[in-house]
Amino acid sequence: MDTVIQTVDLHKNFGRVKALDGLDLEVHKGEIHGFLGPNGAGKTTTLRILLGLARQSSGSASVLGMNPWADAVELHRRVASIPGDVSLWPNLSGGEAIDLLSRLRDGAVDHAAYKERKHHLCELFDFDPGKKGRAYSKGNRQKVALISALVIDAELYLLDEPTSGLDPLMEAAFTREIRRIVRENGATVLLSSHILSEVEQLADRVSIIRAGRIVDGGTLDALRHLTRTEVSFAQDSVDTHALAALSQVHDLTVVEGRVKFGADSDRVHEVLPLLGTLGVKGLLVAPPSLEELFLRHYGDTVAQTVPQIADDGGTHHRRHRAAAAGA
Amino acid sequence: MGALWILYRQRLRRDRWQIIVWILSIGGLALLAVAAIAKSFGDDATRAQVLQLATAAPAILVLRGLPRGPALDSFTFFEIFAFLALLAGLMNTFMAVRHTRAEEESGRAEIVSATAAGRWAPLGATVLHAMVANVVVAMATALGFIAGGLDPAGSLVAGLATGAVGFAFLGVGLLASEFFSTSRGANGISSALVMVAYLLRGFGDATGQVSPDGMTMTAAWPSWVSPIGWGQQTFAYTGNRWWPLLLPLALGAACTAVVVALMARRDVGASVLAGRSGRANARPWLRGSFSLALRLQEGAIIGWCIGGLATGLLTGSLGAAIQSSITSNPQITAVLRGMIEAQGTSMTQLLVAALFEVAGILAAACGLQAVLRLRQEEAAGTAEPVVAGSVGRMRWLGSFLGLGTVSVVLVMAFTAVGAWASLVASGDTSGSAGEVWQTAVDQLPAALIYLALPAAVFVVWPRATIPAGWALLGIGVVLGVYGGMLGLDQRIRDLSPFTHTPVTTSTGTDWSGGFWMLGIAVVVTALALAAVRRREVGTA
Ligand SMILES: Nc1ncnc2c1ncn2[C@@H]1O[C@H](COP(=O)(O)OP(=O)(O)O)[C@@H](O)[C@H]1O
Ligand SMILES: [Mg+2]
Repeated sequence: MDTVIQTVDLHKNFGRVKALDGLDLEVHKGEIHGFLGPNGAGKTTTLRILLGLARQSSGSASVLGMNPWADAVELHRRVASIPGDVSLWPNLSGGEAIDLLSRLRDGAVDHAAYKERKHHLCELFDFDPGKKGRAYSKGNRQKVALISALVIDAELYLLDEPTSGLDPLMEAAFTREIRRIVRENGATVLLSSHILSEVEQLADRVSIIRAGRIVDGGTLDALRHLTRTEVSFAQDSVDTHALAALSQVHDLTVVEGRVKFGADSDRVHEVLPLLGTLGVKGLLVAPPSLEELFLRHYGDTVAQTVPQIADDGGTHHRRHRAAAAGA
Repeated sequence: MGALWILYRQRLRRDRWQIIVWILSIGGLALLAVAAIAKSFGDDATRAQVLQLATAAPAILVLRGLPRGPALDSFTFFEIFAFLALLAGLMNTFMAVRHTRAEEESGRAEIVSATAAGRWAPLGATVLHAMVANVVVAMATALGFIAGGLDPAGSLVAGLATGAVGFAFLGVGLLASEFFSTSRGANGISSALVMVAYLLRGFGDATGQVSPDGMTMTAAWPSWVSPIGWGQQTFAYTGNRWWPLLLPLALGAACTAVVVALMARRDVGASVLAGRSGRANARPWLRGSFSLALRLQEGAIIGWCIGGLATGLLTGSLGAAIQSSITSNPQITAVLRGMIEAQGTSMTQLLVAALFEVAGILAAACGLQAVLRLRQEEAAGTAEPVVAGSVGRMRWLGSFLGLGTVSVVLVMAFTAVGAWASLVASGDTSGSAGEVWQTAVDQLPAALIYLALPAAVFVVWPRATIPAGWALLGIGVVLGVYGGMLGLDQRIRDLSPFTHTPVTTSTGTDWSGGFWMLGIAVVVTALALAAVRRREVGTA
């Protein structure tokens, strides 16, 4: 397996702030790698170092076998990227901005294939390239960055929260495009996000970053093992004892007339037959959230005091807090 | 196409109108100067007289240059070169900041540097862009002088000197962009340095050595630490010396080299002076649109007040330095009427008049910025929540105009305090120290016009506010301050507010022009306030 990105003991300090604190990241060729972490964890900082826009305080980073700080120009010919925060020129139209950025990446863009591909992507993302930058919303600016990144093929895609500001329809279009690129060109993708479900849809492997270090990583299956899907339905005098007894079900509670529990994400389907038999109404299955994962696996006091199964509604909250205080 | 070339063309395209305006202004002013001087000071004898009076009362050299003989060409160079160089300097600092720090601040540098352009092509393209612009400015200046009938070889030296000074300030602007995290900070400090360079050479010229015939001067050392002073040292037309051009070119190159060294070790978007982290909580007084205006403008107001204070302090120190050459020459009055319609008598009064004129421009610029801030707020979308809240549009506009008035008064107050303190300290005996307060008040009407007019533009044609504001100020300065010494037609000079600034002399003050301007300012402001209620506040 070829390693496309490798960082070893990467540190980055901004004054007294340790944005990265010994980050070891490895991304292999041909994979979609999810880079998952809460706000402020250091995702953007890492991607900026990988692009040679920022220089590490210590440690090493290698991208496509190059040193990103020293060989930035050469590296960028083979890499497409989306920044965490997209800003554009107020007096250039979106189409002009896409052309400019593409020319800067690869001088020879004025051929039919490029135009066709640009047109295709504009349609795909429902984007009007004629409007000026001043008039663009956050979502439209994000689309300019997306189209610029996808319009010319690259070996490696470094995408910093690429779907922020996009609606679900566009998000789906983006997911399809990324899958296609990886399938057809064997490209490698590093995709940062703070939303677990988004990464789950795309990534083959994930690395979880927290406070500047990788705290966990591996295949998605391994990750699913770690996460719990939240299931809830209307109480409606449903007898929940059989449900609570299932080993896949955790933390069953009744809050405000709704029964809630967490199920191991890789075993949710095993719970469904029973729910069907019980004839529950108003069923909601929420994807596992990063917050929940962090709370249970990497949190400190809060994570240690996961509420017990309780049928007595609201009171467990108080108990929970008391336990936290006592811990 | 390489990234450098692509980025160069992008800069050229972005700046095309601005550059055309700068170049036509600088070249046009060169031509205008020759024509006006040839008309008003037609023969050597007249010009010799002007020069002799100027060297006898060197205070007025602060706004002119270094006398190098009465011929039409060297006289024109003496009158206008420093101002042309000042314009070229400002053009370059703004250009440097716009394409470096402003791009990083907005985050656009991030998306550009992530392409094959890398971190260096944007800097390279900016330098190339400004160098081409400076060559064109040099050519335009030379052509302006040649078209006016001056000697071609000397005109070429004068043109290249203008371009070379511009290049020096390109380096200054790039360097300032390395230090400051905001384009506002980088623009503020680098344009202040252009002003400092102008005043330093004014100090050096005014305190120089006069030749026995009173028509030639050798500058004192302060001119030698100013890039504009270096440009003057080419002695265009009389000496045509090339070597002084190496100094500004070397300064520009040295600054650029330091910039490269700094950039080689910093992240995109970072700066040497880290932006201070802000307050976690708003100060208690930050409530309502006036205090918001103050909070937004406080940095700028402090900067302009320091400029006023420095200009004021210059009065006493310069007065003391040229004390020895004071002669109470009755003819001075006649000549100086071109610059200020004064009946001034003492040397110090002339100095106060000249420097307070400069301070009046600073005050007008400070007030103007408060009005321009309205447009910046609107374009950035930050005006909307304010106006959508409890603040009506009229009160919103009124708050910024009120703050503009306060800042104009503050700048003049600091100037007066500086001038008073330095005059008292220098032991001036002319009684001018007592007059500085009145002279400071004299500058207010013209400055207030620069609140009212841009406010009207802002209401009627929002997108034009910023360019129109600076253009109005620039035209006002050229016509009002330089129009007199160039001998422009009185009717044209009357278009500038600065022409009507009241002048305080020992015999009193004529405030008729001042009252007219106050009246105009009040009426235009009232109209703007009434009309803003009918206009949407948006980002268009
Ligand atoms: N230029 C900077 N100056 C100071 N602190 C910074 C800078 N960039 C990032 N940080 C800090 O570094 C940490 C990591 O930030 P970032 O990489 O943007 O996180 P993420 O992208 O995961 O949200 C945060 O605490 C952030 O405040
Ligand atoms: Mg981020």
